[in-house]
Amino acid sequence: MSDLSSRIARGVRSRSATRPRPLFRLRQRTNTRLWGVAFILPAILFFAVFKYGPMLWAIGLSFTSYDMVSPPRYVGLENYASLAGDPVFRETLINTLVYIGGSTALITLVGLSLALAINTRVPGARHCMTLMFLTNLMPIIAVCLVWRFMFNPYGLVNQLLHVFGAGRIDWLTSSATVMPAIIIVTVWRFAPYFMVVFLAGLLAIPSDYYEAAQIDGANAIRRFWHITLPQLSPIVYFVIVVSGLLCARIFLMPYIITDGGPGNATRVLSMLVYETGFSYLKMGRAAAISVVLFVISLLFTVGQMHFFARSEETFE
Amino acid sequence: MSPTTRLPARATTRRTVLRGIGVTAAAASLPHRGFGQAKAPIQLGFWTYDNPQQRPWLQKRVKLYTEQNPNVTVDFQWFPFGDLGKKISVGFATGTAPEGFVSQDWFMPLWFDKDLIAPLDVQRLGYGSLDKFQSDFAPASVSSAIRDGQTFGYPLWFYGYANYLNTKQFKEVGLDPDKDAPATWDQLGEVAQRLTIRQGDKFVRQGFKFAMHSAAWTVIQFNPILLGAGGQWFDTSGKCAVNSEAGVKAMTTRASIAHKYHAEDPADSIATNPLPQLDWLKERCSMFFQLPLPPVLVEKENPAMASGDYYRPVQYPGYVAGKGISSTYGFNLVINARAPKEKQEVLHDLYRFILSDPMDAWKAAAPFPLALKGGWTEDPLVQKFPHVEEILKARDNGVPLPRCLVYNEMADAMHRAIQSILLEKADIKATLDTAAAEIDRANEAYRKS
Repeated sequence: MSDLSSRIARGVRSRSATRPRPLFRLRQRTNTRLWGVAFILPAILFFAVFKYGPMLWAIGLSFTSYDMVSPPRYVGLENYASLAGDPVFRETLINTLVYIGGSTALITLVGLSLALAINTRVPGARHCMTLMFLTNLMPIIAVCLVWRFMFNPYGLVNQLLHVFGAGRIDWLTSSATVMPAIIIVTVWRFAPYFMVVFLAGLLAIPSDYYEAAQIDGANAIRRFWHITLPQLSPIVYFVIVVSGLLCARIFLMPYIITDGGPGNATRVLSMLVYETGFSYLKMGRAAAISVVLFVISLLFTVGQMHFFARSEETFE
Repeated sequence: MSPTTRLPARATTRRTVLRGIGVTAAAASLPHRGFGQAKAPIQLGFWTYDNPQQRPWLQKRVKLYTEQNPNVTVDFQWFPFGDLGKKISVGFATGTAPEGFVSQDWFMPLWFDKDLIAPLDVQRLGYGSLDKFQSDFAPASVSSAIRDGQTFGYPLWFYGYANYLNTKQFKEVGLDPDKDAPATWDQLGEVAQRLTIRQGDKFVRQGFKFAMHSAAWTVIQFNPILLGAGGQWFDTSGKCAVNSEAGVKAMTTRASIAHKYHAEDPADSIATNPLPQLDWLKERCSMFFQLPLPPVLVEKENPAMASGDYYRPVQYPGYVAGKGISSTYGFNLVINARAPKEKQEVLHDLYRFILSDPMDAWKAAAPFPLALKGGWTEDPLVQKFPHVEEILKARDNGVPLPRCLVYNEMADAMHRAIQSILLEKADIKATLDTAAAEIDRANEAYRKS
């Protein structure tokens, strides 16, 4: 024992003898940090140059008048003031909010419903999931063109509805039906993707919870309301935020399917940014619209964060 | 005597043969070297729009020029028709605009306003004076290129729209395409009504069809109705005047085919056809206003129509018979004002060369007419071309598209208005008021900027 104790003591002594001095340790730590910074520097530079740089540039540009030919000229808040007084912008803003709200709600509901259906593990459910997910793999241009034909007054959708006795519906040429039509295409495209996300969340819920609830006599609706939904709430939050942001930036669908029409019924902010910048050569104004779109996305995300934080507290 | 004087007396040796070849080669290379020194290498950028007939011809002419002038190389690029203007704008913004390009004539006011294109030297283009230059082209065409007593564009193509009839369908309903071709707007509605076939709420055949798919076509097709009704796009003070009494009259006429005569379905092909004239080519409508139709396109889309030759263009109807006017537009060869002087000079020569053989253009791109009035129209090949007289009449009697600084915004506002009126049956006067207000706001913003 004493031998062991003395060896340990020697070891301790020897370790303390070789321990680096504080200054050296500081240098080593700084060195390690510097190496760490060096490793992530390319990524930081990449984001600074290609993401945050242009973002800041766009914000700066929104206070200028810039036609892409002459140098930008500072105009203060004039672009924002003129947007506030522009009925086309106001209408487009409302369209965008309606589109984000409608699409996000339906994507979440349909995605969750599909995931619950797949999760019942009925025969063929997995194959159905694979088939549904294919909607995400198709090129968006092809999707839009096909839906444009399907929504023609004499297209497949009306032909199918005709079987059930429905009359002609001018899906893409009536302001009453055109936004729902675009939302249908959006949900068709994106809901299966989020279905997979929901399914991953559902599979992660321990089955013990359901077994215990079943023993206590809870029916399916109560099990869904008191177990599934609280357990899935982080996923629901993720789906709402991501699909909301996806919808806020939507461009190709309304652009290809309706070109913003009829009238102004499906013109969304991203389309207006494109038209204002590249067709009307008003880059400053286009940048101001982009900033508005950015603020909407930001408010949407922050709002969701608060809402879900409070919901989680309630569940807890 | 030097020893060399004795050389001719000597037999030809291998060395003398080689020396001779060397001297000959050196002599032969001299003129080229001299040419190369006189003309420094010049690299030009040139952009145009794509079109299956016009673009290959233009490219061929440019290539031919560079072959004849080896010191000149041209980076020839082309873009979809609707994208060219945007590409050029971005090119100017980023300093990558080409030295020369083809400009749609409705963009000319914008280039003028920003001083982006250079004035052309008419003498270098082969004209004694600006008057002689102007008299060589269709008036509506050359007017787009002139500013402050100078020309900034060399008119290339210029064409007018015509009413294309399906003569077989005319005969099917007992109409004579020669006598009954509509000469007034009312006649157009009545004839279209007779040609229409419906099954319940479905149109089997539309008597007439206005394009509803794009803002550009909206303006092209509405322009002659508005001007024919005595209206105008802008009044003398620059305020938009489409909501005037004449504007309402023109829009009422425009909407009458669908709403009064029920001869067209504005919702049908709004965004489903790759070509706006496809309904007419596929015989789903009997009449359609369009630009000169290449026979190759008819052959491709409807061989029976091509072989049966049962179509023909006639002039636009008017509010008074025989007074119909066509909508026209064209394209100018222009030079970037920022291009160096020597490049501008070469571009003058290139443009002059391109248009030096108008018949070559006609052979390659018929029936798209050149803006040049003469030098080709009298050729038997042109004279024999089916309905060429109608095509040229539409070009020469046509009115140009509105030329303003906010053309795209104006076209979009009018497109929205027409969609609301035709598809939602919105009140014409109120909708035109809204459109006019939008156009005035765009003008105001442009002036401010």
